[in-house]
Amino acid sequence: MAQSGKGRLNYRCPSCFMRDLDIDMFYDDDKGEYYCLRCQYTGTEADVLEKNETLRYRYRDMMKRYGEEDFERFDD
Amino acid sequence: MDTMLLNVVHRPEMVPEYAEKVTGHGRTEDITRESLLRESLDIFKTQQRLAHENGLKTTIQMTYASLFNEEAVRLAKTHHAQFGDEIGLTFLGLPCQEFRDKYETQEFCIWMFCLEDKKAIVRDVFEKFHACFGFYPESTGSYYMDAALINYIKSAYPTVKCAVATCWEEGPKAYHTCNNSWYTFLDGGPWAPWIPSTANTHAPAACEAEDSGIVAIPHLSRDLIACYDGNGSNFGTHPQNILRGMIYRDGQYPYLYNLIDQFRYQARFNDGYAYNMMFVGPGWMNKMGRWEAPYELLYQAYADGCAYYGELKKKGKLVDMTMGEFAEYYRDNKTYTQPECALWRDILYGSQKQVFWYCDPYMRACVNMDQGGALVDLRPYAAKLKRPVGVGTSHVQDASYPYLIQEKYRAGYFTHYAGEGTIRSAKIIHGGEEADLCLCRTKAHFSREGRDRILTLDPVDIEFDDLTVTLQTVITFEEGSSRIRYDRKIIEMSDPEADVAVDEYMVACYGTTEYPEDMTGLTLSLGRDDENLELDYAYRSRERAMASADYAACVLPPIGTRVSMTCTGRDKAGYFKEGYAFSPMFTLGYTGKLRQEEVFRTWLNLEKAD
Repeated sequence: MAQSGKGRLNYRCPSCFMRDLDIDMFYDDDKGEYYCLRCQYTGTEADVLEKNETLRYRYRDMMKRYGEEDFERFDD
Repeated sequence: MDTMLLNVVHRPEMVPEYAEKVTGHGRTEDITRESLLRESLDIFKTQQRLAHENGLKTTIQMTYASLFNEEAVRLAKTHHAQFGDEIGLTFLGLPCQEFRDKYETQEFCIWMFCLEDKKAIVRDVFEKFHACFGFYPESTGSYYMDAALINYIKSAYPTVKCAVATCWEEGPKAYHTCNNSWYTFLDGGPWAPWIPSTANTHAPAACEAEDSGIVAIPHLSRDLIACYDGNGSNFGTHPQNILRGMIYRDGQYPYLYNLIDQFRYQARFNDGYAYNMMFVGPGWMNKMGRWEAPYELLYQAYADGCAYYGELKKKGKLVDMTMGEFAEYYRDNKTYTQPECALWRDILYGSQKQVFWYCDPYMRACVNMDQGGALVDLRPYAAKLKRPVGVGTSHVQDASYPYLIQEKYRAGYFTHYAGEGTIRSAKIIHGGEEADLCLCRTKAHFSREGRDRILTLDPVDIEFDDLTVTLQTVITFEEGSSRIRYDRKIIEMSDPEADVAVDEYMVACYGTTEYPEDMTGLTLSLGRDDENLELDYAYRSRERAMASADYAACVLPPIGTRVSMTCTGRDKAGYFKEGYAFSPMFTLGYTGKLRQEEVFRTWLNLEKAD
């Protein structure tokens, strides 16, 4: 089994990201999966992308554009 | 809206952060690699081009490494002549073969060197700069610039008038986010420009005698609610930080523009003045991509950031300045005691939470409207704590200004099982029931009367079994007074003749991290006329009260601070609680009585202990 590498992009562990930890994952070519050195997360690139989308649930206003008079408006 | 001032800062960092460690994975380290130097300079050129294309002038902060690169020096001279960019000097980007050969170290954080090394490096870097450009710079900076470093630079190179001097709330949270490997413990400082005192960079100067001689700016303008409980490097006026936080979808990131706009909005609370800075290191625009973002998205985010600032400038809503120009503006338009205020809302999570930040030479404070106006963070700048950092001191890495109250690190209102967390709030008591205002969610409105900055909170209802009380809180920051006034007024009661009890309290301790410090040595006291009751902290959970007390106080020698509460309420009695090992806190407070239309008034006062 060869050593792991970085993979196509510098993916972080989505499970650790949820607890405010930025941990780069490494890619196991033999298994075709990314894995976290710190926690037990493993997943394919598709799974990482899916989890990255899921974790955005907390950013409810992520795509909202505030108007200049909205910063003290709380009626919506 | 009023006009916002902007500093855009670029640095030709020949060995960008992360370039070797992260994106260069699998290679033997070689910081002299030609392709690395080439790419680094290309990123700098790209950043400069994007700023200039949008009509923005920049401050070019030359790194030590770049001073050995003829092309970087030539570019800086050309852009200075062509676009009016300022040529400054940063202590970021020290790593290069010349530095490592000379100092035999891989250290790169200027504030963590011993003082003698700091001085030697300053002389080395400034003289090298002079040899390249024929003058000394007006601006400098790093992630943090400790007081001893600033004082030395100002004495040796008096041309310096501006410096990037801290990263806002980049402390234990950043350390944790980086898998406990990012040693920037810089909590407790101002979020907007300030004049550092000669004693402590984070504590603004109160007068000319305390003035370090420079104007400090923060490294990035950060989200004042998201950063307080999250990774600072996800929520700042740094387009790639937004990508790091995954706050985008389909290449769109309106949060970045909301963040910039909310900073513009702060002009309403600061006499028409608002400020932003953007300072993106080249490592964030690496051709290999960064985090999940490919280069194309990194580039697009920076281009969009510059375009938005450029658009604001065209509309007359923004003025771009170099750091030196900004320092002059700041000196001309601000007084020492003039506070910085920020009424800030959550613009990301959809919670509608609102906080108020206040900073002056005597304190930095945060009021949380979602907890009834409780004070949730308090830094006693009045102490002007001398706390040297770097090798050879007792705080090698920890440059944070200590807190008295920090609700995230030291619990706040909610604790598990037993004990108390740091917060300053009040309880309303009636018929064997009590309600803490921390559980009364509300909103605030800012106003100014003379030297007072006033937060008027929307009234809240407190429901007891047989009585409903409508109560309003007004919080007043009196400029230059080193104290915060809380007024509680009952607007209405279901029984207008009722007489309820009030307990105004602050639970506090001291520290810079989540972990407790030794409370031995603290002294609690109550006083009235010639009477003074004192108790040395010994973790014995003792409590004392005094009718009509003039003050309830605590002296904290480790942070050189005396904090006290005073009161003018009816039937007032001062008290303190000592705390114990499982709850290493102390409590100061006043109890009293309150009827309809009556006001119960207390002050929290901060002083230098000796």
